[in-house]
Amino acid sequence: MGSKAVQFMLGAAPPQSARRLFSFRNSVPPAAASVNKRFYGAESSLEPPDVPRLAETARISLTPQQVEDYSPRIRKVVDWFGQLQAVDLQSIEPAIRADTEGDNLRDDVPAIFNTRDAMIAAVPTFEDSYVKVPKVLNKK
Amino acid sequence: MLSSAQTPRFLRSTTATATTSLKCLHTSPIATSAAIPPPPPSQILTTRKSLLSRQTSAVDLAKSFLHRLRRSEPQLSSFLYVSPDETVLKQAEDLDKKIKNNEAVGPLAGVLVGVKDNICTHDMPSTAGSKLLENYRPPYDATAVRKLRESGAIVVGKTNLDEFGMGSTTEGSAYQVTANPWDLTRVPGGSSGGSAAAVSARQCMVALGSDTGGSVRQPASFCGVVGLKPTYGRVSRYGLVAYASSLDVIGCFGSSVADAGILLQAISGHDNFDATSSKQEIFDYASQFISIDDMESKPLQGLKVGVIRETLEDGVDSEVISSIRNAVSHLEDLGCTASEVSLPSFSLGLPAYYILASCESSSNLSRYDGVRYGNQVFGDELSSLYGDSRAQGFGSEVKMRILMGTYALSAGYYDAYYKRAQQVRTIIRKSFKDALDKYDILISPAAPSVAYKIGEKKNDPLAMYAGDIMTVNVNLAGLPALVLPCGFVEGGPAGLPVGFQMIGAAFNEEKLLKIGHIFEQTLQGCSFIPPLVADEAT
Repeated sequence: MGSKAVQFMLGAAPPQSARRLFSFRNSVPPAAASVNKRFYGAESSLEPPDVPRLAETARISLTPQQVEDYSPRIRKVVDWFGQLQAVDLQSIEPAIRADTEGDNLRDDVPAIFNTRDAMIAAVPTFEDSYVKVPKVLNKK
Repeated sequence: MLSSAQTPRFLRSTTATATTSLKCLHTSPIATSAAIPPPPPSQILTTRKSLLSRQTSAVDLAKSFLHRLRRSEPQLSSFLYVSPDETVLKQAEDLDKKIKNNEAVGPLAGVLVGVKDNICTHDMPSTAGSKLLENYRPPYDATAVRKLRESGAIVVGKTNLDEFGMGSTTEGSAYQVTANPWDLTRVPGGSSGGSAAAVSARQCMVALGSDTGGSVRQPASFCGVVGLKPTYGRVSRYGLVAYASSLDVIGCFGSSVADAGILLQAISGHDNFDATSSKQEIFDYASQFISIDDMESKPLQGLKVGVIRETLEDGVDSEVISSIRNAVSHLEDLGCTASEVSLPSFSLGLPAYYILASCESSSNLSRYDGVRYGNQVFGDELSSLYGDSRAQGFGSEVKMRILMGTYALSAGYYDAYYKRAQQVRTIIRKSFKDALDKYDILISPAAPSVAYKIGEKKNDPLAMYAGDIMTVNVNLAGLPALVLPCGFVEGGPAGLPVGFQMIGAAFNEEKLLKIGHIFEQTLQGCSFIPPLVADEAT
């Protein structure tokens, strides 16, 4: 079930055909670095994901085992993302979302949220009308 | 009335391949009697009629559904939370009183609804399938839930999903895996697998789900029910736990097209609390549903259907292709003209979608910091409160997508990934618009396969992502789509259902519903009631 789809995703390079459903390459070949430079100039050299650093940026504490487990999977997907770099997108406008109807702003008038108690009840550590958190240490 | 001289092509073998001819009759005890199963009725309209004519009471209806729900729940695990009987029956009693006093009741009076657990309900936990939000009680109802309740519907419980909507099987739920009512060893699809299974197994009448990359349509196909994804902006997202804000929509499940449409009507409309919600007028979808007795012999005469060529090629199971081709033949019997249309950029949609979804979700899920709601892991310092609360609260698929999104949005990489994905979105929007200028609707399968076994795709992310190829482009373009069951493939105790997808122009849900309803009501020899439920009836 869907195994044919999997074969194309993972397997041997499928024939080049714009109409094939899964016609993309699975991984960015070693030459990609120079391809990238050609598209984006010498500045950007897309480093592979540094999972521990990303985890720190995303504020998720990963165990060393998790770093080891996730890294190859993340690498695989990010390599797969890389195929978009081979597409000619000159002069195509990026679309923020499907369509914008334009002015959809409400009046700048304060409104009361009626169930503040329920909102406060959801706070894990609430003391003396403060939302309590541990101390914030200054990073170097 | 459909002429009896027209031989339904879907009951004949149309392909020259070695695969068996499409068996539309499924072998349930109901079908073993010589009678051809009738087309599915609208449970919403039937309920309304029975209640108003006093043929049945809301309490009796609720009792019978709750009984069936509790009986099948140990096998299915479609619900994360079921409302206590007393609560459901009290609402039903109140409704019965109103009817007795000849007071007006809403269009969904007495209708029992399941709500996907990423849609906020103030009186029930809303976990989004995550341990991080275990026991979280939102302080408000989502607008869609509020509208449902105002229409007289009774919410019976919250259905299972892949955590934060990230997944295609419900195996990503932090709590339980839902089983497919057609074969308990298979997945119901995802991320709205719980809602699809609940409607399929008749545990509730209709259900709400959400669809970011196919999460209503693919499980609808896997479970043999109707799934409707509205146009982006048709239904307010206020109260829908955000996954990818430019793609998320709330969608509808029903056992008939009419039910999905009437449900959509009840929840649609502009909302001040959602700046992306549309001010476009809501069509009276309920008026689309003409009875089969009133249909002309070629009720879809003049409609042009475009079958997307790229969705019927290698990578899609041959039996699924067969079912779709049979569905197209049925549409032709009803008067449509069908031809193939090519959307050359089709395959770019999948990586573009996953880039956009990962990036937007990495931003949306940054609010889960353990400070104001959710499970908290208190620490010595603030950053470990964040890091540990999130590490312990999020499952591995969610963590990985956040990390991928964080990577793709990192300084210097925005142009390479996010911006390029946005540009691909423009291309895809345009290619759909061009195709829909020529055709009334476009057709494709809803998934490249039928439901696969639980555990089959768990370890390979790309294998699971591949299954979304049929659905993600529709989210990128913000268009509406309807999936309805059209046939079966061999497998499981009684066959595995196949759904086909119809894609329409923006805010043109009424055309999809009209065509879908006529297709469904004239499809002979098919009954999409899983053996789990059918066995009960005897």
